[in-house]
Amino acid sequence: MSRFVLRRLYGLGVTLLLTSFLVFGAMHVAPGDPTSFLLSGRTPSPEAVAAVRAQYHLDDPVLVQYGRWIGDALTGDFGRSVQFRQEVGGLLGARLPTTVALVAYASVIMVVGGLLLGFLSALRPGKVDRAVLFGTTAAVATPSFVAAIGLISLFAVGLGWFPTFGAGEGLVGTVHSLTLPAIALGLSLVGLLARVTRASMVEELRRDHVDMARLRGLPEGEVVRRHVARNALVPVVTITGTIVSGLLVATAIVETAFGLPGIGSMLVQSVVTRDFPVVQAICLLVVLAFVLANLVVDLLLPVLDPRTRAYAS
Amino acid sequence: MATGPRTARGTVTAAGLATAVLLAGCSEASSGGEDGGGQQRDAELVLTTPAAAGEIDRISWALGSEPLSLDWVYSYDYPPNTVVSNVCESLLRIDESFTPGPGLAESFDNPDPTTWVYAIRPDVTFHDGSTMTAEDVAFSLNRHLDEEVGSYWSGFYSNVESVAVTGPLEVTVKLTQPDVLFNQMMAVAGGVVGKQSFIEAAGEDHGTPDGGLMCTGPFALQEWSKGESITLARHDGYWDGANAAQAETIEFSFLSDAAALANALVTGAVDGTYGVPESALRKVLESGAGNVYYGRQTSTRNLIVADLEGPLGDVRIRQALSLALDREGFADAAIPGPSEPSRAVASKLTWGEGAAGETFAAAWEELPAPEQDIERAKELVAEAGAPDRPIVIAQSPAPVQQVLANEVQAAGKRIGLEVEIEPIAAEAYSALFGDAEAREGIDLFHTTWYADVADPLQIYVNWQTDNFANYGGWSDADYDALVDEALQEGDAEARAEMVVRLQENVTENVLWIPVDHSANSVFLSDRISGAPATNAYLYYPWAAQLGARG
Repeated sequence: MSRFVLRRLYGLGVTLLLTSFLVFGAMHVAPGDPTSFLLSGRTPSPEAVAAVRAQYHLDDPVLVQYGRWIGDALTGDFGRSVQFRQEVGGLLGARLPTTVALVAYASVIMVVGGLLLGFLSALRPGKVDRAVLFGTTAAVATPSFVAAIGLISLFAVGLGWFPTFGAGEGLVGTVHSLTLPAIALGLSLVGLLARVTRASMVEELRRDHVDMARLRGLPEGEVVRRHVARNALVPVVTITGTIVSGLLVATAIVETAFGLPGIGSMLVQSVVTRDFPVVQAICLLVVLAFVLANLVVDLLLPVLDPRTRAYAS
Repeated sequence: MATGPRTARGTVTAAGLATAVLLAGCSEASSGGEDGGGQQRDAELVLTTPAAAGEIDRISWALGSEPLSLDWVYSYDYPPNTVVSNVCESLLRIDESFTPGPGLAESFDNPDPTTWVYAIRPDVTFHDGSTMTAEDVAFSLNRHLDEEVGSYWSGFYSNVESVAVTGPLEVTVKLTQPDVLFNQMMAVAGGVVGKQSFIEAAGEDHGTPDGGLMCTGPFALQEWSKGESITLARHDGYWDGANAAQAETIEFSFLSDAAALANALVTGAVDGTYGVPESALRKVLESGAGNVYYGRQTSTRNLIVADLEGPLGDVRIRQALSLALDREGFADAAIPGPSEPSRAVASKLTWGEGAAGETFAAAWEELPAPEQDIERAKELVAEAGAPDRPIVIAQSPAPVQQVLANEVQAAGKRIGLEVEIEPIAAEAYSALFGDAEAREGIDLFHTTWYADVADPLQIYVNWQTDNFANYGGWSDADYDALVDEALQEGDAEARAEMVVRLQENVTENVLWIPVDHSANSVFLSDRISGAPATNAYLYYPWAAQLGARG
């Protein structure tokens, strides 16, 4: 098992290095450079342009620039944001906790809600199943910005239970402030996960070994727990890992609607203003999140399904 | 030279009389229902909101986005200047109507056209309690000349030869040629004074959340929570007791989403904001949470002709398109506050006072009225012949721009011109103002362009041959010479005569298509009052006037 983890960590390093090069290259192939932003609102003299280009090393060959960037990045220095003129580390460090808390909160809502509804739907065919099916269809079809508008006008403006904007302070304050944004972000995912869980459960329920277990006279509860749910969770865990890591940059709309300082909205803003250092750092973060989420999934799967253990060792 | 294009918020404009009449009856202003579906086209224009009744502990204010930097050399946009104006002061100071007066300089002298001598006020203290010196002043002005710094205000320093300390409390600026705009700029962000040792120690972090600011204004920067808010605290040692801050703290929250802003204003989570977005205004007015006041502003709405070679190359086509525009219809559909179809690019608020102001007012009456005339427009198109490719107008997702782009397209259709709308993302839209590549293939784009000082000359220098704002590439030797002459004319009235000729030239040639003068808006919750209603908040310590409502 430890060899497996080591191997995955090595893979993680290689993946990060490769993607860092791709991200860096892509940003430099894209048209335009930060000079026009830095000199905005002026008729720049050639000296001013040269000064800015030298400051940001824009005249060096791309490989030299990449080498300098990756070398600094390894020591935790991601450079200075072009538009904010601040250290990228500090810029993202201030925003990352909000986004991570939001994604974690939305993930909990997604997993708890999705599993419960999925199980319910699979185990109670008929009216309950149809009701859940209807509800989850509506949830899946509700974009987060629509959910945000509805939630704010009902619970923040109408009832006054939650603040209309801001990330709050302290644990209680944060949970309180992030409840509506997390629901807005997680709502459609609850629907999605419930559907996946239901499909997976229904398929497992039809399997021969489940019939066998029932014929052997095992109580229904144990059949569902040991022979249905455990197997059914394998695809659910896999898809959850992918969704959660992708959420990290899917938060832009919700962050804007709720006035939250996060990295989702920061990424959007940085891409359009060609703020290279910030975009590169966020992309690396996202890749890191994907790889780590996959690692967690890969470690969880053998626990759920003994057949995958052979592969892991 | 001022660009007002970057943020959609706070970009509405002013018209009407320069009277300081306060809004008669607040409830009338906030009811909204009777006058055209929440619209306030006839609302009165005021200079400032009713004076505050007393002190207040805390005010919460909304900004359209987080300032990229609070270093004044990089502050040339609504969000940063709204904050900086309360923290950092300039050598001169404008009032609510943009009239300049003494600031950190008690007086100034202009012994010859290329020399400006500033007498620095003694006993002004920075927020850390230390005394401001002439060295701090000279250092602050010299930063704009440093290429390494890359000041956004360096354009106003292009005629500066040197800035030097010439006495214990005296700083002398030598110019290479007379430039009347330079001294006027000392009243806005170009003339801000900060503490030398602090700026040097902060280095690249100066003006960021990590480095902070050290200035002399009525408020000091207390906290900048990245991405979330900026909090200012009252400076107790402020030199100008009469204008000391009424509020203990003011917190600026960054709310870029119009709906989020509307909700925050309606629930009282935020007490006020400048430039209430059109889409939020109705909800805010109906809630009764406070009042919206309107004042004039130094900006006007225009369509910039970005390409004078393309389909708009013939002046008759530009005139025809301008004549075909239904400006009243556009304002009815898109502008909730007072608005007036405009005849020229320079706003009425830039005219200034006295004889110069009268000269501009008379010239305004001489300009052709901006009325729709389809027949004349069709004749012009017939004379010039319709261009062989469509006119491309850029459009950001801002609702006002969508309405205007649709109106331009409809205007084109009325007179047989094909107009194509090119949608552009909001943030990418700002690249149009700085990047020639981004303007490739674009013939027209929207701007609310503001002047920093009350002098229309600042607007009309835009069409000098090499000016960065001369997007269409207009070049006329006589025009260039007249601009230079006006820049050297110290007498305001004589200068106004020249600027009027520049204005005629730009208007006749339709180098930009003027659309409207709309009003600046400010929302104040029922807790607070006292903020100016004009866009002087960009450079004037406006938040010091904010206090409890009577």
